[in-house]
Amino acid sequence: MRPFATVVTALCGLVLSSSAIVSADASSTSSKTLLPADFKPPQVFKNVNLVRNTNLEKGYARETVNVVVENVDKQPQSDYYLSFPSDTFDRVGGLEVRNKKEAEKGRFDVEAVEVDLARDVQYFVVHLPEPLAPSSQVTLGISYSLLNSLHPRPATIEQSDRQYLTYSFSAYVPSAYQTVTQKAKLKFPGTNVPDYTTTDLKSGQDPERQGSTYTYGPYNTADVAPGTSYPITVRYEFTKPVVTASLLERDLEVSHWGGNLATEERYWLHNNGSKLSNHFSRVDWTVANYQQSPSSAIRELRYPLKPGSVDPYFIDDIGNVSTSRYRPGLATREANLDFKPRFPIFGGWNYSFRIGWNNELSSFLRRAVSGADSYVLKVPFLEGPKMAEGVQYEKVVVRVILPEGARNVRYQTVEGPLSNGLPGASQIQSSLSTHKTFMDTLGRTTLTLTVESLTDEARDSQLVITYDHSLWDALRKPVAFTAGLLSVFAATWAIANIDVSIKKR
Amino acid sequence: MAESTSPVDALLKGSSGRSARGLLRIIILVTIAAAAVSSRLFSVIRFESIIHEFDPWFNFRATKYLIQNGFYDFWDWFDDRTWHPLGRVTGGTLYPGLMVTSGVIYHILRFLTIPVDIRNICVLLAPAFSGLTAFAMYLLTNEMSSSPSAGLLAAAFMAITPGYISRSVAGSYDNEAIAIFLLVFTFFLWIKAVKNGSIMWGALAALFYGYMVSAWGGYVFITNLIPLHVFVLICMGRYSSRVYISYTTWYALGTLASMQIPFVGFLPIRNSDHMSALGIFGLIQLVAFADFVRGFLPGKQFQRLLTASIILTSGLAFVGLIVLTMSGVIAPWSGRFYSLWDTGYAKIHIPIIASVSEHQPTAWPSFFFDLNFLIWLFPAGVYMCFRDLKDEHVFVIIYSVLASYFAGVMVRLMLTLTPIVCVAAALVLSYILDTYLKTSPGPINRGRSSEDPSSEALRSARTPEVGISSYFSKAVTTSATIVYLLLFVAHCTWVTSNAYSSPSVVLASRMPDGSQFIIDDYREAYYWLRQNTPANAKIMSWWDYGYQIGGMADRPTLVDNNTWNNTHIATVGKAMSSREEVSYPILRQHDVDYVLVVFGGLLGYSGDDINKFLWMVRIAEGIWPDQVKERDFFTSRGEYRVDDQATPAMRNSLMYKMSYHNFNKLFPMGQATDRVRGTKLPSESPQLSTLDEAFTSENWIIRIYKVKDLDNLGRDHSNAVAFDHGNKRKKTTKKKGPRVLRSE
Repeated sequence: MRPFATVVTALCGLVLSSSAIVSADASSTSSKTLLPADFKPPQVFKNVNLVRNTNLEKGYARETVNVVVENVDKQPQSDYYLSFPSDTFDRVGGLEVRNKKEAEKGRFDVEAVEVDLARDVQYFVVHLPEPLAPSSQVTLGISYSLLNSLHPRPATIEQSDRQYLTYSFSAYVPSAYQTVTQKAKLKFPGTNVPDYTTTDLKSGQDPERQGSTYTYGPYNTADVAPGTSYPITVRYEFTKPVVTASLLERDLEVSHWGGNLATEERYWLHNNGSKLSNHFSRVDWTVANYQQSPSSAIRELRYPLKPGSVDPYFIDDIGNVSTSRYRPGLATREANLDFKPRFPIFGGWNYSFRIGWNNELSSFLRRAVSGADSYVLKVPFLEGPKMAEGVQYEKVVVRVILPEGARNVRYQTVEGPLSNGLPGASQIQSSLSTHKTFMDTLGRTTLTLTVESLTDEARDSQLVITYDHSLWDALRKPVAFTAGLLSVFAATWAIANIDVSIKKR
Repeated sequence: MAESTSPVDALLKGSSGRSARGLLRIIILVTIAAAAVSSRLFSVIRFESIIHEFDPWFNFRATKYLIQNGFYDFWDWFDDRTWHPLGRVTGGTLYPGLMVTSGVIYHILRFLTIPVDIRNICVLLAPAFSGLTAFAMYLLTNEMSSSPSAGLLAAAFMAITPGYISRSVAGSYDNEAIAIFLLVFTFFLWIKAVKNGSIMWGALAALFYGYMVSAWGGYVFITNLIPLHVFVLICMGRYSSRVYISYTTWYALGTLASMQIPFVGFLPIRNSDHMSALGIFGLIQLVAFADFVRGFLPGKQFQRLLTASIILTSGLAFVGLIVLTMSGVIAPWSGRFYSLWDTGYAKIHIPIIASVSEHQPTAWPSFFFDLNFLIWLFPAGVYMCFRDLKDEHVFVIIYSVLASYFAGVMVRLMLTLTPIVCVAAALVLSYILDTYLKTSPGPINRGRSSEDPSSEALRSARTPEVGISSYFSKAVTTSATIVYLLLFVAHCTWVTSNAYSSPSVVLASRMPDGSQFIIDDYREAYYWLRQNTPANAKIMSWWDYGYQIGGMADRPTLVDNNTWNNTHIATVGKAMSSREEVSYPILRQHDVDYVLVVFGGLLGYSGDDINKFLWMVRIAEGIWPDQVKERDFFTSRGEYRVDDQATPAMRNSLMYKMSYHNFNKLFPMGQATDRVRGTKLPSESPQLSTLDEAFTSENWIIRIYKVKDLDNLGRDHSNAVAFDHGNKRKKTTKKKGPRVLRSE
C-alpha cells in the first residue's frame, strides 16, 4: 500500500505545485545566469546571526548554515546572494535553501551565477518567493555538501596505519553581506583530533571542545568586511575509506509489455583516502581481516534493494564478481546485496563495476487520474550503497528509458519538509533522446538527467515522471514484428518461385 | 505390422509417408542440434558466460577490435600492445574467419536492433556451430550409405561425442569452434562434387574451403586429403571426368580463395605443405590428356609410350620440386609438420611446441575417453567401406588411416579423427539396425523390391542373412544396441561435465557443506592491473598468460600465446631463471613495469609457474646454452627441489624468489609448506632487491611485482636494500657519527 500512497501524494504534489514541473524537451536546460565580470552583490541584506554546522562524520563535509537575514535597504528585496570561494564552488552539492521557520513550504529557487572564472568568489542567487520588506527578517536554512573537501594527511600511510583527514575552512563565513555574529560548529567522527587551529578571535578558549564537537566562535564580526577569511584547518582520524564515484550512470528501463522496471547502475569508484606508502601486502591484509581491524580500504559495499527486487547481477568489465553475495528479501522486506569488490580498494585505487536488478512495474507506475493514456512513474532518483562513511558522487547521469512512443514527458523531483539531498531544478540538466533496442522501430523515448556533485544524502530522493502512451504505441512493436516476419516469408516464397535454371523444363 | 489400416501406417507409407518421414527427419535433426548446443552449456550454467582458457581471450580481443574499428582497420591491425617492444602485425598473422563470423552475426543482430553483447556471441558461437556440424555430418554420412538411419546416427554421435565437445564448449571461442563444421561441410561438398562430377558442387566445395582457410590452420588437412583421395582414385584406375571436373574446379577456385587471406598469401604455391595439391593438379591434367589421347589411339605400343612419358614427366616434376625446395624457392616443411612424423623432434628442436600439453602424443585411454564405443565400431565401419568400395568410400578409408595416425601423434588432432569415427560408426550401427529391424520400410525392403519379383519364394533361401525373422534375435540385438547408445550418452555427459567444462580462468571447489566455492584469483589480479596501473604499464609473465593479460587486464605484454618469436620468449625465460643481477638489466631493457607469476603453493594448484619452470629454463638454454643450464636446477641426485636442498641456481632464480617471497610469513616459524610440491620450505624468505611485491591475490595464485626504478644514489639494488636493513638497526649509532666528525 505504501507505494500507492506515495504516488497519491506525488500526484497531489503535482496538482499543487504544477509550476515546478519541468517539461523535458530536446534541448538541455541552462542552469546559469550570466552577469558582468565585475559584479558585486548589492549590499541590501545583513546577516544578523549565523550558525554554521559542519558534519565531518562521512567522507565529505556536510554543512548546514542557519542565518537570520535582515533587509537593510529601503526597497523590498528578493535576491539573496550566496558566495563561495571559486575552488569550492564547483564542488558544492545538493544545495538547498529554505525558510527555516516554514520548512514544509518547500525550497527556494537557487541559481548559479555565471561570472568570470578567474574571480576568487562565485555566487549562487537565492530567489525569495516573497520579497523581504525593509528591515524585516527571515531565517534561511542553507544546506549543502562539499565534495572532495577532505584531504588525507599524511598523504601516504602504511597499510595497517590509521588514516587522518584534514578539513580547511574559514572562521568567517564567506558571505557577501555583513555578518553581525557568527559561529561554526564542527562534528567529528570521533574524539581523536590531533591537530586543530586555535584562534584568538574571541576571549577565552577557541575552539571550545565538547566530546567530538568543536565550536569556533561566536565571533562578533560586525566590523569585519564581508569576504574576509581566517583560515582554520583541523586534522582528525578517519580510518574509513573515502568512497568517491567519479561517475555513476543509472539506467531505468520501463517495459509496459513485460510489466518490468529494469535498473542498471554503472559505477566508476575511487577511494580518495591516503595512498599506500609501500605496496599492498597480502599477508598484512589477511591478518587485518582476521582481526577485523578498521582499515581505510573499501572492503565491501552494502546495497539495500527495494522490496520485490529480483534477478540481481553484479559484474565488471571481465565478468561476474564472484565474491559478492545476494540475500533476497521478501515481498515487504528489503533485499540486500553485499557487493565485495574483487580486491580491497585502498586510497588512490579504482574499481568500476555495474549492478542491476528487476522490479515489478506495478509498484512504480500508475495511470494518471487526468487522462486515460497518460502515466505517472515514480522511481528513486538515486539508490546506491548505504555506508556509514558515506558516498560522494562527482557526476550522476540518470537515464529513464520510457516505452517506445512515449510523448509529453515531464518530470519533477519529490519535495518533502526535509531536504532530499538533491539540488534545485535549475541544477539538474535534462535532455530527451531516443534509444533503439529490442526490435524497436522508432526508438524509445529516453529522459536523461545529469547532476554534478551529489552525495548519498540523496539516497531516498524520488523522481516523478509523467508521459503519454497510447494503445497504438503499445501495439506498434507486435504489428511491426508480424509485418517483418510476413515480408520475410513472402520474399522467401517469391525467391523460391524464380526459375533460374538454364535448361528448359 | 500386417494391419495396414492403422493411421500410423497410412502416415508412413506412400507419398504422404515420404513427407511425413521428411518432417520426422527434420524434427530429429533439430532435436540433435538442440542436444548438441545444450550439452555444451555446462560451464555457462555452472559458472557464467565467460571466455575460457588462453587462446580464446585473444580471439575475443581481436573480435572486439574488429567490431570497434571496422573490417579494414582490423585487416591492417598492427598491435603494439603485445610482444613489447616488437609489436605484432596481427591483421596479417591471424586466421580472421572466426572473428569475422562473429562480427557479421553481431552486426546482423544490431541491424535487427537485438542488443546482444559481443561476449555472449563469442561464448555461444561454438555451441551454435556444433549444431550446424551435426547437420553437416548428417549430409556427409547420407552420401556414404543408403540406409536412412546412418545419417541421423552420425549426426547424433557428432553432436555429443566428447572428442569434439572438448573443443567446442560454450566459451571455448577458438578457431576450431567453426573449423570443424567447415571441415565436415567441405568434405560433404567434395563428395557431392565427385559423385556428380558437377562444377557447382566443386565450386561450393572451393568456397567453403576458402572459408575454412580463413578460419583455421588445420585447413592443410583438407589441402592434402582431397589430392590424396584423387591420387588414390587415379591409382585404382578410377579416373573419370567426374573426378577431373570436381578436382580442377576445387583446386583452381580453392587456391585462389585461400590466397586472399594475408596470413596464407602465397603459401599455396610456395610451401611444401601445399605441394601435393599442386602436384596432383598437374598429374590429373596429364592423366586427362592421356585418357583423351587413348580414346583415339588404340595402339598398344603407343599407350606404353604414353604411360612412360607420363611417369617421366611426373618424375621430372618431382625432381624439379626437390630442386626448388633445395634452392629455397619453395619453403621446406615447417617444424610443426616434422613433429607430426617424429614425436621426439619437437622436444629436441622446438621445445616451445613440446611444452604445450596438447601437443603431446595421445595416451591410449584417451581414445576411449573421447570416443567411447565409437572407437571399436570404427574399424568395422572402415571394413564396411571396403564392402562396396565406391569413390566416396575410398575417401572414408584414406581419411580414417591418416586421421588415426595424426590422432596418435598429437592429443589435439583427436579433433580431426572424431568426424570420420562418427561416420564409420554410424555406417556400422545403421547396418546392424537395418539388418535386424526389417519391419520398417527401409532400404532393405526397397532393395528387395528392385529384385526380380518372380523369385520371391526362393530369395529368402538364397540370402538368409537378410531376412531375420526371429523376434528373439531382434530383441537381443536391438536392446544391446540401445544399451550401448545409452551408455554412450551417459559417458558423453559425464566427460563433458567433468573434464571439458571448466573455464580454467575461474576455478571451482567445494566447501565442506557441499556448496560451490569459486576461486577467482586470476580475474582478481587481472582486474587489479586493469584498474590500478597506468594504461601503458608493461607486464612480463610467462607466455601462457599473455593473451589473458591482454584480454582481461588490457595491458601490454612481452610475450603471449602466439609463440612466433622464440628468442623473445627465451629472453623472458632467461629473466625468470637467472639471478637478479642478470635479470634486472633485462627487465630494464624491455621497459618492464610489472612481473606476474602464478604460484599454487598455498592452494595446491598444480598448474603454476614453478612446475612450468623447467620449460622456461629449457627454452632459455636453447638460445643461451652457456648462461642458463637445465642441469643447474637439479640437485646432484637429479631431483627437482624447492626446499632447503634446492640448488643455488634454483634459489637465486627470479622465479623462485618471486614465488616464495614472504610466503613463510603466513605460517608459524619453520612451518611454511608448499602444497603443490608437498615440501617444507626454508624458514627464511628469499630476499628480493630489484622488485617490490605490488599485489598478491587472495589465494596467492597470482603474484605481481613492481620493478624498482634505478636507485636515487646510483647504488645497485642489493646494496641499497642491505643499507636500508642496516640503517634500521643502527639508527642510534649513526646519529653519533657526524658529531664526532664535527668536533675534530
